[in-house]
Amino acid sequence: MLIWFRQHLFALKSALSHLRASPGNFLFNVLVVAITLALPIAGLTLIENIRPVSAQLSIEPEISVFVNPATPRVDAMALSIPIKKILKEANITAKLNFVTKDKALAAMEENSGLAEVLATLGGNPLPDAYVLSLSNSDSHKVEALAQQLKSLTNVDIVQVDSAWVKRLSALMQVLQVSLLFLAITLGLVVVVVIFNATRLQVISHQSEISIARLLGATNSFIHKPYYYTGALLGLLAACAAMAIIALSLGPLNQSIAEFAKLYASEFRLMPLGVFPSLILLALSMLLGLCGAFFSVRRQLARIN
Amino acid sequence: MIEFQHVSKEYSRDVFALRDISLTIADGELIFLAGPSGAGKSTLLKMIAGVERPSSGTVMVNGQDIGKLKASSLPYLRRKLGLILQGQGLLLDRSVLANVMLPLIVVGASASEAETRARAALEKVDLSDKIGAFPLTLSGGEQQRVAIARAIVNRPQIILADEPTAFLDRENANKVLCALKAFQSAGITCIISSHDEQLFDQVSRVIYLSEGAISDAWTSSLAA
Repeated sequence: MLIWFRQHLFALKSALSHLRASPGNFLFNVLVVAITLALPIAGLTLIENIRPVSAQLSIEPEISVFVNPATPRVDAMALSIPIKKILKEANITAKLNFVTKDKALAAMEENSGLAEVLATLGGNPLPDAYVLSLSNSDSHKVEALAQQLKSLTNVDIVQVDSAWVKRLSALMQVLQVSLLFLAITLGLVVVVVIFNATRLQVISHQSEISIARLLGATNSFIHKPYYYTGALLGLLAACAAMAIIALSLGPLNQSIAEFAKLYASEFRLMPLGVFPSLILLALSMLLGLCGAFFSVRRQLARIN
Repeated sequence: MIEFQHVSKEYSRDVFALRDISLTIADGELIFLAGPSGAGKSTLLKMIAGVERPSSGTVMVNGQDIGKLKASSLPYLRRKLGLILQGQGLLLDRSVLANVMLPLIVVGASASEAETRARAALEKVDLSDKIGAFPLTLSGGEQQRVAIARAIVNRPQIILADEPTAFLDRENANKVLCALKAFQSAGITCIISSHDEQLFDQVSRVIYLSEGAISDAWTSSLAA
């Protein structure tokens, strides 16, 4: 165990001395790998920031039926009977929720941050409304239902609310799958870059390797410093990629803040949390290790 | 003990480095392998170290059949050997001390133990004052003595020296030979390849190789 530990310590020291011998090459490789990793990490950062927002949105279709503002409350409440009848005829299961204009105003004041603006209006401009949460997501049926509801007496506007949410959800899925493919492709690029860097390093140390072999070094003793170099390259490149993204979030958030303000939102892009960052660092180290592993095995088999 | 039984090494069709060599070297012997360049001296040494394998015949080193030894077992065989390579084989970017420590680091010795033993080995070859120097700042003779220190630091059973006196003047060549004779007297088997005939009368046994075969062998009065 002690010998194993000593040999790892020696391998780490050898790896560091190799880096010190040609710091320019190493830093250039770190930069290349960091730029390669920056793209999928940026994509992941974006998705991780959007995911909580999209998770709050209902994906099931919703129909808002706005009652004519001049309709008395009793007549507005009575509309539930024809609405339920239409739902029954269309064989659609739905949760029907009557939202009075007072309740709607209170919710708007609370959620939109427009309380002061609404106060200046002097009255409640909102109508009574029904919100139908449908369990059936067939878009054709939903559209037909909306048309039928619009034809009811005292109904002013019928709005299908969830179409854009569904589109956003679909877009998120496309983004996630695309990001996965991008990450796999660029992960392979990282392995290839580290493979080549290690190959050149092994070639430049060929005589040292031959001497070590003659002195009784095992393959594992010879391989270890290169594994450490590859893992170190992956780790530093991931750190650099995260630093690049963290630095670019500042100016990006300034633009986003102005855009979000238009929607009374305080949305900001945040860097990845500690746990996902640690996973990314570990993955990047693993990619470095893989590149070095395949390179050393192939190159030393050739030297043999 | 080292034993060659009808050993041949054929590199390609009809190109032989060794032809039907049969030879026994007892423990603690000091032997010179003589002969012109291309006679097969280096190949014979490489075969003992497991760098080359025989095309036919058997090479036994301390009871181990080199031809049948697994690649994974070779490092453990080499740890019992002290190799002095042609052109020294020193790592030029490492100090004299680091070069001599290397065989001990390879076997997992602690840095402090490796340093103590490397210093002792350098003292034996009279290079204590060159510990921090780098190989290229040393003379040819000093570099060769560093190589000897590296070969003995692991307390080997056999020392294989390939042309250790090449490119050295008479005084330095004698110093190197004296060092090797001192190790032989301590019970280490020493096999030295050389074409420097002036050194032959200083050793007990000389084996003369020509075109891969033993053409002559003699034992001097020193053997007695």
